Amino acid sequence: MAVVTGLIMLENILQSLAAGLLIGAIYGLMCVGLALIFGVMRVINFAQGDFMMLGMYAAYYAFALFGVQALFGSTIGPYVAALLAAPLLFAVGYGVHWALVSRVTGTRTAGLDGDGHYAQLILTLGTALILQNGAMIVFGSYPVSVQTPLSVSAWEVGPLWDDYVSVFVNKARGIAALVSVATILLLARLIASSRLGKALRASADNPEAATYMGIDVQRSHRVAFALGTAITAVAGALLATNYPFHPYVGLEYVIVMYAGVVMGGMGSILGAFWGGMTIGVVQQMSTLILPTQLQNTAIFVIFLLIVFLRPQGFFGRVVERT
Amino acid sequence: MGPRKTGLGLSGLLLAGTIAMGLTAPPVLAQQPAEVKVGLLVPMSGIYARPGQVMRMGAEMAVDHINAQGGIKALGGAKLKLVAIDSGDSTEKAKNAAQRMVAEEKDMVAASAAYLSSFTLAVTEVTERVNLPVLTLSYSDLITERGFKYVFQTSATAASQAEQSLPEIVKLAEKASGKRPKSVAIITDNTAASVSSVKPMKERLLKELGIELVVDETFTPPLADATPLVQRVRSARPDLLFFLPTVISDAKLVLEKMNEFGLGQGRVPTISFGIAIAEPDLLKTMSPALLDGVMTVVANWGSKGHEALMAELKSRYNEPWMTQNAISTYGDMWIIKEALEKAGKADREAVAQTLRAMDMTGGPTAYFPGGRMQFDGKGRRVGAGLTIVQWQKGTPVTVYPSELALSEPFWPKK
Repeated sequence: MAVVTGLIMLENILQSLAAGLLIGAIYGLMCVGLALIFGVMRVINFAQGDFMMLGMYAAYYAFALFGVQALFGSTIGPYVAALLAAPLLFAVGYGVHWALVSRVTGTRTAGLDGDGHYAQLILTLGTALILQNGAMIVFGSYPVSVQTPLSVSAWEVGPLWDDYVSVFVNKARGIAALVSVATILLLARLIASSRLGKALRASADNPEAATYMGIDVQRSHRVAFALGTAITAVAGALLATNYPFHPYVGLEYVIVMYAGVVMGGMGSILGAFWGGMTIGVVQQMSTLILPTQLQNTAIFVIFLLIVFLRPQGFFGRVVERT
Repeated sequence: MGPRKTGLGLSGLLLAGTIAMGLTAPPVLAQQPAEVKVGLLVPMSGIYARPGQVMRMGAEMAVDHINAQGGIKALGGAKLKLVAIDSGDSTEKAKNAAQRMVAEEKDMVAASAAYLSSFTLAVTEVTERVNLPVLTLSYSDLITERGFKYVFQTSATAASQAEQSLPEIVKLAEKASGKRPKSVAIITDNTAASVSSVKPMKERLLKELGIELVVDETFTPPLADATPLVQRVRSARPDLLFFLPTVISDAKLVLEKMNEFGLGQGRVPTISFGIAIAEPDLLKTMSPALLDGVMTVVANWGSKGHEALMAELKSRYNEPWMTQNAISTYGDMWIIKEALEKAGKADREAVAQTLRAMDMTGGPTAYFPGGRMQFDGKGRRVGAGLTIVQWQKGTPVTVYPSELALSEPFWPKK
């Protein structure tokens, strides 16, 4: 009997860990999008959650209305739709930067009070409100999701011990986690070894020096903003198979994104991924010892602990750049 | 000198104003009002926007019907005018909206509010102070536990619903499966209505019915993932699952996870309390096959006798069936109409008094289960019944009580 209780306990632990890693991978991807924008431009983007919402709707409409489901079926379709959301939201991000964000960032703000952060804050908050309410008018208030049979089925790992200890890995979440990791690897490669990546890093490290070296800092910022928007949109679209969403869904995730970015170290892109992953794992595993109601409280207790013990985050640099 | 002069000027102005008002007031009062304002304070933005909009549909339909049938006859055929106000998506916003409403709409005679029990609790704190009668479909017992005089709860309270429905559910399970359920898992969110439903079960009802509570989980909506919750159910293998969500996404996450873990589609029969699990929106996010057989206990539902209303709701707003949000709010407007007829004047105090004294079996009674329209000293509807609704082939239909049922209940068994 004691063995059985132990095995059930083990199963609970492994199952929560699996759920945490799967959801953490998607959180990680969201955070990376935000970290890219913050890392390169030093802009705190409050509209990031709402760009994610747009990504979710883009994937939904691509899937349900514009033929992706008919062409690729309900199994692969959702992932094709998620990848289609990327270029679309890249364009949106590019446009928003060109029309709005560039007016309060970059070289224009040098020497302004607080480096223009106040204007940026108001601008992104305002954008968030417009997107939320605009989406409500255009898309309606009812929740929708990208429907696939994968979200209700799982790969069963086990039983690992006689008849006990089976871990279920939700198929939709499993594939989403793989796509998410692949996207991050691709991005890391882009930043590390392409000419564009070099320009992004240079603009992030020292915009002034980068300008002297012949780098178009404004363009780098625009690309970073668009890329960050696109990546978060993909994360949203991957989430959309399991999570019904509505125009206000961004609010539910923007806090998670910020906590993840700060935990990982402001400005560190890889750190943001691990920050998001930590949130996912803490959120799911805390239920083993704490009441489920306190899931999100647990996240912020860990968050405060990390900020207290390691203020620069997992991967942050102690010395601020000049 | 300056300020003193202004002061004099102001008091002069005030005096002139008072005289002017005194002169013009009697003719205005003597006239019958052309329109009588009734309020609807419900969420129309944020994550609860959808139920609020359905309530608005119900209210609009009722006001149109009332006006088309000659308005308020006791007021010379005065028309009702619906003032719909967005309560937002938090108790704080709901309270602010209520403050705005009472400040701006001084001639409003009554209102219906505010969907979520938590919001209704906040809103009525404000409306009570200005003596505005408020009808509510919210469930929480607390709403009418505070000694307020201007709150009228048309739904059976959550505790009363639990008390009425649990024996029925056990009877149904026993009849269909041949054995009495012995254990139950409860998964509930922590909103006021859900908590009020679960409280009497845990304290008393389950023990009285000889059912053991094997899983007891409370979560904060919205969930990000349902794995840990459903894992508990898998470990405990109960005979029944009581699942009380308020947000659609939580309903989808848990029901899909049940299926994924091999517990869905009747292996562990699922019973809910409240409306979320029978919302049309659920079909936009998940497959109807996973819902078949799922039952829910609700205070009100489009049932036998409401066929014409259900058809109108469908043709006018494209709503596939009539939820409590639509039918109760529709009924609320008719109750207010009835109170205005009896009061004979468009005055909130008079309306409140007639509501307290009301005792009728016809008219608006048809829109609420329980067969009578009378409120007790707390503001609770006397003899308020309930309905049990079951998902059958992609539609939630009323299966209990038999006089309202549109279909026979079936017990999912595997």
